[in-house]
Amino acid sequence: MISGRLAALSLALGVAAQPAAAQELAPGELMRRLAAVESSRATFVETRHSALLKEPLVLRGTLTYRRPASLEKRVEQPYEERVAIDGDVLVIESRRGRKLKTSVSGSPGIAALVEGIRATRAGDLAALERHFDVGVAGRAERWSMTLKPADAEVARHVATIVVSGVAGRIARVEVQEAGGDRSVMDIREEVK
Amino acid sequence: MNRRRAAVLGLWLLALAGSALWLQRHLEVRTEMTVFLPPSATPAQRLLLGQLREGAASRLMLIEVRGSAAPDDLAHASRDLARRLRESGLFLSVSNGDLAALAAERELILAHRYLLSPAVEAGRFSQKGLETALQESLEALASPAGALLRAAIPVDPTGELRELARLLVPGEGPQVRHGVWFSRDGTAVLLIAETRAASLDVEAQAQAAATVRRAFDAGALACCGALALAGPGVFAAQARETIETESWRLSLAATALVLLILAAAYRSAAAVAICALPAATGLLVGIGAVALGFGAVHGITLAFGATLIGESVDYPSYLFNNAAPGEPLERTIARVGPTLRIAVLTTVCGALAMALSSFAGLAQLGVLTIAGAVAAGFATAWLLPAVVPPSAIRLKSPGLPRLLPPLPRAAAWIAAALVAAALAFVAARHDRLWDEDLANLSPIPEDAKKLDQQLRAELGAPDLRYLLVARGAERETALQRSEAAEAWLQKQAASGALAGFDLPSRYLPSRKMQEARRAALPDAATLERNLRAAAARSPFREGTFAPFLRDVARARAGGLLEPEALRGTALGLKVSALLVEEGEGWAALAPLRGVRDAARLGGDAAAAGFELLDLKQESNRLVGGYRNESLRLFALGLACIAALLALGLRSAGRAARVFLPVAGAAILTVALLLLAGRALSLFNLVALLLVVGIGLNYALFFERPQDEGDERSRTRLAVVVCAATTLAVFGCLMLSQTPVLRAIGETVFVGCLLAAALSAAFAARYTRSA
Repeated sequence: MISGRLAALSLALGVAAQPAAAQELAPGELMRRLAAVESSRATFVETRHSALLKEPLVLRGTLTYRRPASLEKRVEQPYEERVAIDGDVLVIESRRGRKLKTSVSGSPGIAALVEGIRATRAGDLAALERHFDVGVAGRAERWSMTLKPADAEVARHVATIVVSGVAGRIARVEVQEAGGDRSVMDIREEVK
Repeated sequence: MNRRRAAVLGLWLLALAGSALWLQRHLEVRTEMTVFLPPSATPAQRLLLGQLREGAASRLMLIEVRGSAAPDDLAHASRDLARRLRESGLFLSVSNGDLAALAAERELILAHRYLLSPAVEAGRFSQKGLETALQESLEALASPAGALLRAAIPVDPTGELRELARLLVPGEGPQVRHGVWFSRDGTAVLLIAETRAASLDVEAQAQAAATVRRAFDAGALACCGALALAGPGVFAAQARETIETESWRLSLAATALVLLILAAAYRSAAAVAICALPAATGLLVGIGAVALGFGAVHGITLAFGATLIGESVDYPSYLFNNAAPGEPLERTIARVGPTLRIAVLTTVCGALAMALSSFAGLAQLGVLTIAGAVAAGFATAWLLPAVVPPSAIRLKSPGLPRLLPPLPRAAAWIAAALVAAALAFVAARHDRLWDEDLANLSPIPEDAKKLDQQLRAELGAPDLRYLLVARGAERETALQRSEAAEAWLQKQAASGALAGFDLPSRYLPSRKMQEARRAALPDAATLERNLRAAAARSPFREGTFAPFLRDVARARAGGLLEPEALRGTALGLKVSALLVEEGEGWAALAPLRGVRDAARLGGDAAAAGFELLDLKQESNRLVGGYRNESLRLFALGLACIAALLALGLRSAGRAARVFLPVAGAAILTVALLLLAGRALSLFNLVALLLVVGIGLNYALFFERPQDEGDERSRTRLAVVVCAATTLAVFGCLMLSQTPVLRAIGETVFVGCLLAAALSAAFAARYTRSA
């Protein structure tokens, strides 16, 4: 009896494992799918959890992407802010007139945080691997990618960035900070 | 009689050997290049040259590592090199754009942020000010860089560190990629190192440069990258190496050539040795005179000594050439002595302009030439006749006169026409004759200067064309003026008169300003009350900002930021470059970028109590000043030579006949230099006087009334030998890597060739008609 149950269990496990192994997504394959997207528009809801805050801060706004290196994030709620990446240039503008223009590659920290999203969206594996150890899990229609900063200085601040998505679309970006804070950005993306 | 000759020769050789030994033991040879930098006149010029010589800028070493490696590997190489250099202990600071490496600077800024930040004023710590600060902090926390900024928020909610970030990352710096400075084309990483040693300490500079090379060779890019170094100290070390090898190589080559020419002319080893004796005497006396007069001899002066040989071997040649067969040399010297005297004295007058120059380097060359020529002249006139028996030495190149037939009469007319054309050409170019660039007077080779400029441009080291100067009697007052200048410059920048500026008071505010900022900080109870009211309306948790309260209280009770605290940091480097002690006061220097209308800005600055310095214009004025001095000395030298000729030859007509070919040669030389695309520097000008001094020797030889035939061809031969030795030594100088020597070599080589040719051409005319 017992051996029969064990046999059935191992069989079931084997059955379950086999198709999963067959569909295991290679990073290159995922990148090809992401790179096929020419442009996209999205709305997002970003929740910032921090030990500094009484309650999580929720930001709402839009994301616009154009292949390969232009990405704009507009925060609309609860305040207005525009973050634009174009190639190596990062611009942050607030409604109150605060404006910051900097080179992405100028700071390894900024480069890692920005490239984690920009290079993922562009399917640029080489750029991702410059900044992170890249691990991909899941299947083509439901995948997740874990990015661990390669630079020790960046790793002091950022533990992991987990990007998950469906086919060629990004659905969520989760940044886990080394100090315990995290932010979760849920994205509804329409791709072209 | 023979015993007497041997005794004189023996004593002479003994004296030469003795003085050579003494010089070898006691001569101090210097190689620093500043003796060839002009001294300065106005305060602005002193500032300029002081900075060139001793300022912090003069201790900077610019380093470039170029390679085809991936940018990542280059960035790694940059960090690796910077680490090795810092560990060597030879550098006060090493910057490669890597903010992570600026730990000491960040620490310093963090600790003194409430004294440094221009945003600190009472309103910033009111409830309303803090509300704004907390909202900005919230936005920063939620921004893409939030993970990086988070740690600073509880410490610094008012964002003083963001305000002060520009102290570490100036807007005009080189581009940063992969965290370090990269060249614009992205194929090289750049570093700036400040040596502990002054740029004048050539030994230590050479050691520092060698350390950089070793550190590079030990790194990963040694195989496939290229290292380039620039900066005043590096160049000084290189120049010393060049001068040390050159002064020997050039002197040896010139001496060998001269001996070869003499051997060909006399076909006797004894004759060559006898001709070399006055030259050796002149050289030893010349070097001795410089050593006594200046305390030490510059390497360039030694290299220049070779030219003295070329001039002084002419004297014995002249003596032997004029001796009739069987005539004792005492009798010959009695006959041709006056001409020989004029030949020596014209050379002395020619060198006078150099000796009186305010360039210490040129003055050494002048003294060497004067003392050397006089000594060689005396040796020829007094010692040679006592040593050499009659008819012992004759020029023996029977074939040569036939190869050099007398020039036809028309030659004089052609020569005159050429000189007239040259004069017209020079006159037409009179407004573009002079090289105005101070940099071109520097003894640094052209390609090294180019590398320096290129690296300076890449590194965003200010090009230092326009400086606003704010002066004060003490450091404190100069810093206060610097703060007044900041307010004024901000207004000017807002109106578009300039694009940007830097100031010492940004890195080290005046004590008065620091005290005012400290006084703007509220007491602990007030700050806590204001913060609690502001935080109540924000999503920030109670108690988040305890570190902020602690730091403000600490800053309020703490001391001021003293200059000593900045020492050895990138900030200290900035302050020592921008705040300099000069004369009886201090000057705060504000390098300006993108000045639109310098004349107008200068006027406005003067009205506001500042001074706008156009360093380019100032340095051009400086060069103009030296040129005027050289022109005055040139005129003085020419006048002396002309007076000497008129007196010595006892006839204005004869003097003119001697003088004209040489003057013509000088004019043709200037025309040729201009045609070759050179602008005249004062080195060329001084060299022209040498041309006149030496060229007159040939004209004097030709001018002496002489019969047709044998004597005339002997004269031609003598002039050919003299000109050949001169051309040989100055030709060697033309090969020098040192711009001063090359300029003198070129000018004298061309000038003397022309002087000999013109003298021969005009001589054809005079002798036939005489």
